[in-house]
Amino acid sequence: MDLDEAFRNHGDKIVGKWVEYTLATYSSSGFFQRERDPFANPIGGNVREALGKLFPLLVKGAEVSAMVPALEQLVSIRAVQEFTPSQAVAPLNAVKHITREVFAADRERRHFVAELYDFDFAVDLALLTAFDIYMKFRERLYQVRIDEIKSGSHILTDSRCPSKVASEEIQDLRLR
Amino acid sequence: MAVPKLQQLANSVVQGPSLATGAIPTRDWMDIPVAFKAGNYAYPAKKEKVEYLNSQSGLSFPNAREWSPEDEDWKLPAGWQDIILRGLKERLEKFRSLKIFMDCCVRCGACADKCHFFLGTGDPKNMPVLRAELLRSVYRNDFTLAGKILGRMAGAREMTVGVLKEWFMYSYQCTECRRCSVFCPYGIDTAEVTMMIRELLHLVGVGINWILEPVSNSNRTGNHMGLQPHTFKNNVEFLVDDVENLTGVRPNVSFNRKGAEVLFITPSADVFAEPGLYTAMGYLILFEAIGLDYTWSTYASEGGNFGLFTSNETMKKLNAKMYAEAKRLGVKYIIGGECGHMWRVVHQYMDTMNGPADFLEVPKSPITGTVFSNAASTKMVHISEFTADLIKHGKLKLDKSRNSHLKATFHDSCNPARAMGLMDEPRYILDHVVDWVEMPENTIREQTFCCGSGTGLNTDEIMELRMRSGLPRANAVKYVHDKHGVNMLSCVCAIDRATLTSLMNYWNPDVGVCGISELVGNALVLEGETRGELDEGLRTLL
Ligand code: SF4
Ligand code: SF4
Repeated sequence: MDLDEAFRNHGDKIVGKWVEYTLATYSSSGFFQRERDPFANPIGGNVREALGKLFPLLVKGAEVSAMVPALEQLVSIRAVQEFTPSQAVAPLNAVKHITREVFAADRERRHFVAELYDFDFAVDLALLTAFDIYMKFRERLYQVRIDEIKSGSHILTDSRCPSKVASEEIQDLRLR
Repeated sequence: MAVPKLQQLANSVVQGPSLATGAIPTRDWMDIPVAFKAGNYAYPAKKEKVEYLNSQSGLSFPNAREWSPEDEDWKLPAGWQDIILRGLKERLEKFRSLKIFMDCCVRCGACADKCHFFLGTGDPKNMPVLRAELLRSVYRNDFTLAGKILGRMAGAREMTVGVLKEWFMYSYQCTECRRCSVFCPYGIDTAEVTMMIRELLHLVGVGINWILEPVSNSNRTGNHMGLQPHTFKNNVEFLVDDVENLTGVRPNVSFNRKGAEVLFITPSADVFAEPGLYTAMGYLILFEAIGLDYTWSTYASEGGNFGLFTSNETMKKLNAKMYAEAKRLGVKYIIGGECGHMWRVVHQYMDTMNGPADFLEVPKSPITGTVFSNAASTKMVHISEFTADLIKHGKLKLDKSRNSHLKATFHDSCNPARAMGLMDEPRYILDHVVDWVEMPENTIREQTFCCGSGTGLNTDEIMELRMRSGLPRANAVKYVHDKHGVNMLSCVCAIDRATLTSLMNYWNPDVGVCGISELVGNALVLEGETRGELDEGLRTLL
């Protein structure tokens, strides 16, 4: 029996608790946990899928680049919800504690708790990467806002008379 | 080494001071007050806009002032509770549906998880049943015997400032999309409850600028943008130039022409902002191809009707201008462009407000002879119905390969789908002009998910809110993007063309947004055309 076997044996349980923990950060977490159709329940579906993909990567200590898609799937959502930045990424860290709890409850595998250094390190890397991803999506959000303002729909409000603006633009073109 | 307990971490996650919706509710929903902060509310209407609207005949917008939702004091008028309760009484007497919606909910919860705002936030007050309960609790308190006697035990509560603030928060986190009503066994339409809450709020001067400014612009110049006639005309003519440059054929257009057979009305965004411009070019190409005898109006230059998001009087007034213009010009009937809520107003409310339009004729296609008897009362036919009929009769020469750079999907906009049942015509058109696939079944047709920014919530200060409420829609688009390589999201709504563009830019940046008529215009083979290879169709820069 080795650590890999321990992860294989308890993987589903750990991911299950991890998903549950992450979804518990939402007020109405009951529905998010219960409904399995990913289109009827996009938050639940994406969290479940993302963490399910991420876990084996953490276990095998994969390259950070391999973790990015799953992290994006999770963090892009939390970046536009009412979380502080630390709250948005904190659930990633929880997998360390969940893994310890699960191992500790298993008499035969309890001792593997002492061997989790590499796993912890992989989680730390994922967490740091999640901060970068969080910022990337916040910046994308600001860009979307700027693009929308530039697209002309802002002309609805907060602008001068558009007829005046347009006639000035035509004047400018003529002068050029 | 002490290992931090999972529970401690959990506490820091769910009990952080700035977390508004993350906390596990341990208190009754009635006891959780709303907190306004930058980003979670739309800006209130400007004083001068409210004053202007209040000065207009047939409209009432009292209590114009400077105020902010973040302030403790909202500067409500004296006796505001009475104003609201009297307003509610009046509406209960006037609208039978409201009374029924207030009385017949059995709290079965079938609607609870069907709202995109709930699905994107997890906030229980975004469950449609609770949203309606915000009003129903006050109704019970003052208008039912049980509520008067039992009070809170019967789910009743008094009208307080806290309740009013809650109304503002959650009636502007509902896009009146009606998805919840599809699932309610009693057909309770929470959208109409939201409409009533917004009306009541206007009685005490609580409204948002992104709605009232377009309303005042429409009232003044005829369109949301406030474009004056010459600018509107110039913009359409720019598009005529563009079509000529791209295809070699110059579409014939006219403005305010008396005696034209058809008046064409579309949202002003189509002639002013991308990507609607390409949809408008599609209309021009289509009408040119069939030689339609039609005119644009520089007065009825807006299909959209933000009155729908304001009050029934405002909706009626803005709707009336389209018919007044049709009468003035002496046209036979109206063709309406790709708009969402215009069609809800026309299909559901126009007849009792301003109809029937007896001075017009039942629309009859001059090309195919088809009589659109579905529009017998409103005399207004949808461009997709009109186009699908042309295709069915083989009247259009279409080259699908001109859209081969695209793999499309179709978003059913809430209003055409759920308020007028327009679901098959756009699909029939798509079959003939582009390679396309459907999104998952529980996200289309009657069950379609809103863009997240309808009913005047398409303003940039609440971008985060819009991104989370649009998540269910974007999530389904992502699925067909990943699975089938979809790169274009088509729809028949001008608000969607703008809002889905932002939504895609955040969630699926590889997916563009277009109107159906753009795809038609692109595939249409025009007589005498000298069109070269256009890699991106009508969007090609020459
Ligand atoms: S109408 Fe739409 S936005 Fe409003 S409560 Fe129902 S589902 Fe939600
Ligand atoms: S589905 Fe209808 S009856 Fe059931 S809780 Fe919702 S509104 Fe009430």
